[in-house]
Amino acid sequence: MIAIPRYPLKKSPRTIPVLCVLLAVLFFGSLLAGRFKITISEIIAIVSSLLPGNSLSQDLISQKLVFLWIRLPRCIMAVMVGTGLSVSGAVYQALFRNPLVSPDILGVAAGCTFGAALGIILPGDSFYLVQAMAFGFGLIAVSMAVGIARLISIKPVIVMVLAGMVVLSFFNALLMILKYFSDPYDELPSIVFWIMGSLTRVTWNDLYITAPVTCCGLGLFMLLRFRLNILSLGDVQAQSLGMNPFVFRLMLILVSSFMVALTVATCGQICWIGLIIPHMARTLVGPEHENMIPITVLLGAIFMLAADGLARSVTAAEIPVGIITALTGAPIFAFLLYKNRGSGWL
Amino acid sequence: MAVKLECRCVTFRYGKTDILHDISFSVEPGSFCAVLGRNGSGKTTLLHCLNGIHKPHQGEIRINGNTIVGMTRNQIARHISLVPQEHLEIFPFKVIDVVVMGRAPFIGMTRTPSPNDYDLAMEALKTLNAQRLATCNFNRISGGERQIAMLACALVQTSDIMLLDEPTNHLDFNNQYHLLSKIKQLCQARKTSVIASMHDPNMAILFADTIVMVKAGKIIARGPAPEVMTKPNIDALYETDTTPVKISKTQHFFLPGEIING
Repeated sequence: MIAIPRYPLKKSPRTIPVLCVLLAVLFFGSLLAGRFKITISEIIAIVSSLLPGNSLSQDLISQKLVFLWIRLPRCIMAVMVGTGLSVSGAVYQALFRNPLVSPDILGVAAGCTFGAALGIILPGDSFYLVQAMAFGFGLIAVSMAVGIARLISIKPVIVMVLAGMVVLSFFNALLMILKYFSDPYDELPSIVFWIMGSLTRVTWNDLYITAPVTCCGLGLFMLLRFRLNILSLGDVQAQSLGMNPFVFRLMLILVSSFMVALTVATCGQICWIGLIIPHMARTLVGPEHENMIPITVLLGAIFMLAADGLARSVTAAEIPVGIITALTGAPIFAFLLYKNRGSGWL
Repeated sequence: MAVKLECRCVTFRYGKTDILHDISFSVEPGSFCAVLGRNGSGKTTLLHCLNGIHKPHQGEIRINGNTIVGMTRNQIARHISLVPQEHLEIFPFKVIDVVVMGRAPFIGMTRTPSPNDYDLAMEALKTLNAQRLATCNFNRISGGERQIAMLACALVQTSDIMLLDEPTNHLDFNNQYHLLSKIKQLCQARKTSVIASMHDPNMAILFADTIVMVKAGKIIARGPAPEVMTKPNIDALYETDTTPVKISKTQHFFLPGEIING
């Protein structure tokens, strides 16, 4: 007789604390990383000078500026972007019951990119216009995909993926037109650089919008994580277990598209995170979303912080973080595929 | 809990075609009702109407005399469970994690299953002599074991009314009998009303108490199994010529005549 554990709840209860410590270490590490040297003692001095009654010595002023207005918002944004993209990826994979799905499947990123390119080409150089256009077109793209899927309204899951492909190619074509007609010395490079995601432009103002949205989305996904298990069984099963899969799917798609659109609008396209982080989390703790969603959140933040730290410190001139994530993401994904062979899922 | 299921004058259509037309029958607590019919006769649609996945255009479904129109999906799910015909490929969940999903209608929308829910799931697996499956990967067990796991999931959900869509599909010869006798035992021990769509009329003769014969969305015969399972009815249902073969004093199996007389 094989002994069976009473209920196989948490597979590895130590994973979460370990990841939390790793995240904290990386966060402080990436506050220090970069061309402009700031030491730990300087950070302590700067932070304590913010408290009432303490003053900062004159020679730390430039350190303070870099730390408070560039590094800190950037690191917080890296955490937000990493968690937002990876959790959206996990939710999309559960909803579409497909391991190859990433949050761009419904055309969010393509829409955002087109919007941004349009914003760059339009007269006036307000950066807010570019962001607003990117965000708006991202949501338009998703609504188009969902709308087309609703019109067809059979086999909802597969049709939605196909509708996503339609919208994605459409916006890519539009983007190509814009690139073709843009000024090759000025506008074309900025479009290309915009598409390579980067966190260099991040300011506190971006965080005031992104952070609350990301946190609300994360909270919602955390609360509904057991329901994701049920949705991944398919519509008939979910319905007979007392859920309305259509309403849930629409809500989850809208919330995660909102998060992704906001991310792409502020930082450009950062590939692979939404695809590989959920796979990593599943490899670590199994596919049950109760355990897997919190791990995805932590891993996403860790991966993004590490990638952004690398992007800042590898070469003298900073490289876009999107390149780092793509470069590391692809081989990691191949390794995960190899590791998970024979799970009956791949 | 003994719960009676009634289906009153149900008509359901996709577009303009009637899939089900004026279907009425009822299932008493503790009885096993087999729905027989050819491919595409509307068996699955009927089961989906019974638990409210499809809304009938006319007629209604009643549980213990109360109509399910106006009940929430969750309220229905607490009384009616369904084992679907096809099990889609899913994440490599452990069997116990699939079974515990049967507790979904009883867990708050934003909650995760408690240790107690896992105990109930384990108990359901024990009832089906399948506790050894608990920690197996759901995608890596055999079709028969998967069927058992889904049955356990339905059992955790509710044993008031269970709808089984071709429960013996994909099962080997021995497992078919094993599974159906298990279902029959549950049905009697827990006063469960079982409605199962089936392909093999001989299986229905062995296990079912009542029969509903559906042909092109209409009922052509219904009632206690011994009365309904006659040569004329079966011939009409399957549009073939069968020969009764005596298997005991009171029971006959039906096999296609041309095969036997060769």
